[in-house]
Amino acid sequence: MSVIFDTVEKRYPDGTVALNQVSFEVPDGQFCVILGPSGAGKSTLLRCVNGLATPSRGRVIVNGVEIGAKSLPRLRPTIGMIHQGFNLVARSTVAANVIAGALPSTSTLSALVGVYPRRFQQKACTLVGDVGLPEQFLRRRVRELSGGQQQRVGVARAFMLDPAFVLADEPVASLDPQTSVDILALIAREARARGSTVLCSLHQIELARAFADRIIAMRAGRVVFDGAPGALLPTVVGRLYGPETAWAGRAEMRGALKCAEQ
Amino acid sequence: MRGAMSALAESEGRSSPAWRFPQPYGWRSGATAALVAAVLLFTGHRVELDRALVMTGDAVAAAAGSGRPSQVAAGFSTVARQLFPLQLDERTDIDRIENFDSRRLPPFAHVETTTVRSRELNPNTLLLEDRFDRKAVLVQPFGYAFKVGQKLLETLEIALWGTMIAIVFGLPLALLSAQNLRFGRMAYYASRAVVGLCRAVPELISALFLVLAYGFGPIAGVLALAIHSVGFLGKFYAEDIENADPKPQEALIAIGAGRLKVFRHAILPQVMPQYIAYTLYILDRNVRMATVIGLVGAGGIGQELKGRYDMYNYGHVGTILVAIFLLVLILDQLASHLRRAVI
Repeated sequence: MSVIFDTVEKRYPDGTVALNQVSFEVPDGQFCVILGPSGAGKSTLLRCVNGLATPSRGRVIVNGVEIGAKSLPRLRPTIGMIHQGFNLVARSTVAANVIAGALPSTSTLSALVGVYPRRFQQKACTLVGDVGLPEQFLRRRVRELSGGQQQRVGVARAFMLDPAFVLADEPVASLDPQTSVDILALIAREARARGSTVLCSLHQIELARAFADRIIAMRAGRVVFDGAPGALLPTVVGRLYGPETAWAGRAEMRGALKCAEQ
Repeated sequence: MRGAMSALAESEGRSSPAWRFPQPYGWRSGATAALVAAVLLFTGHRVELDRALVMTGDAVAAAAGSGRPSQVAAGFSTVARQLFPLQLDERTDIDRIENFDSRRLPPFAHVETTTVRSRELNPNTLLLEDRFDRKAVLVQPFGYAFKVGQKLLETLEIALWGTMIAIVFGLPLALLSAQNLRFGRMAYYASRAVVGLCRAVPELISALFLVLAYGFGPIAGVLALAIHSVGFLGKFYAEDIENADPKPQEALIAIGAGRLKVFRHAILPQVMPQYIAYTLYILDRNVRMATVIGLVGAGGIGQELKGRYDMYNYGHVGTILVAIFLLVLILDQLASHLRRAVI
C-alpha cells in the first residue's frame, strides 16, 4: 500500500502550524521513518493517514484513494496503528486487548457479547507468541505488564487484521534503549512478513538509521530531509536538534544496537 | 555539570527576595464563613432546631432522674411500651375461619381457648354488666414472623427488579447522553431530559400514582423504583463514560471500530468497577425505599406496616420494624463484601 502526501497543511485552531506544505510519497513495502524533535509535526502527519487528524489543506492519498469521511470506514481496517502510550485497556487481559484489533471485521452482535470468531482467537494466540510473550500472559491484565511487554501487546493488536499499512507513532518513546531496539525489530519483522508499508515516527537518530529504508526528517512542520539513512549527514542532524544535543544518548543507543546485531 | 554546580552555589548564597508566600485563608474565607454561619443560624431557628435541643436536653435529664416531666421521654416510653413485646405468633378467631376442621390443624399450630370480657347494657336493669365469652383461637407460633419474612422477601424482589429494569434502561440512556460517544445533539438532549425527569420524580410520589393505575401490590413498587433509579444510573453511567481514558478508545477508532464496539471494548472494561459500585449502591437504596413506598400501597413490607399501624396493632409494627432493621444491616454487610470481591 502506498501513501501520497500532496501539499498537506495542518493548522490548529490556536494558530499553530503543525504541517506546512508537506509533500512526499511512500511506496509499497517501505519502512519509512519520520524523524524529528518534539513538536515537529510527526504525530499529526501520521494521524492524517487514518483520519484521526484532518488536513486543513492538501490531500492524503492511500492506495489511490483520497482520505475523507467517505473512504475512511473502508480504509481504516487496513491501517494498523501502534501508539506512543500503548493505548491499551489496562484492566483488560492481554488476550482481550490483542483480539480487539479484529473488531472492525467482527459483527456488532458478537463484539457486544464479547465472543470473537475462532479464527480470530487462533490469530490472537499466534500473534502473542510471535511478539515474544508466553502463553500464560494471555490471561494477565495489561496493567501488570512492564512497558516493553505492553508495547508488544500493542504491536500484536496492530497486526491482528494483517494491515497493508502500519502507522507507528513514537512506539518506543517511553522505553529503555534495549527494549526500544527489540520493539522496532519486532515491528520491522512483522511488517516485512506481511509486506506492509510502515510509517514510523521517531526522535532517536540512531534507531532511525538502524531500521529505516528511508528517513524523512521534519522540523517545525516542514520536511528538511528526505533520503536514505546513509545520506543523513551530521549537518542535517545539527539543523534538527541543534549541534550539541544531536548525539546525546548516542553511545548508549549504539551499545543497544550492537547487542541486537549479535 | 559544572554549570549546575555553580548555579547551586549561587542559589545558596543569595538572600530570599521580599516575596510573599500565598496564604490559604484571607478576608474572602472570613466573609464566606460569616455568611454561612448567618444562614445556618437563621434557618436553624426556623426549623425549630433550638427547641429540639431544649426538648432533647429535658428528655436526657428526665432519663437521668431529674423528676421533671418531659414530653419527649414520655413519647418514647409510650412507643416502646406499645411496640414490645413483639408479636411473633399469628392468632386467628376460629369463628372467622371457614370450614374449620379441628383435626387438621396447620403444622405446629394449636387451639387456645380464651375468655373475653365485654360490657353490655342489660335492657331489664338498665345497668352495664360484664359478660364473659369463651373464644377459641387458632395459634400458630412464629406464624406472624413467618409472614413478615415473606413480606420482606417480596420487598427484596421489588428492589431487585426495580434495579434490573433501571440497568436495562439506564445503560442505553447513558450511551446516548455521553458527549464523547457523539450520538448527535438530538439524542444527547433527549436522553439528558429523560434521565433528569426520572431523577426528579421521587419514588413515593410516582408510587402514589402508579398504585392508582396498576392497583395495590408490587407492580407499582417495581415501576416506581425503576423510574427513579433510571435517573440515577443513567447519570452515573454517562459521567463515567465521559471520564474514561480516551487513549484506548482512540486506538479502536483508528482502526475503524464503531461506537458500540468502542464502548464495549475500550470503555466498559475501564468503568466496570464503578458501574458495579453504583449499581450495588442503588440496589441497597432500593431495598430501603421499597419498604417506604409500601406505605402508599405499592407492595412489600411497607404495605403490611401501614395496615398494622392503622389497626393499632403496635406489637406487629414492632416486629416489622425490627425485621426491616435486621434486613438493612445484613444487606449492608453483604453489599460491602460484594463490592470488595468484584473491584
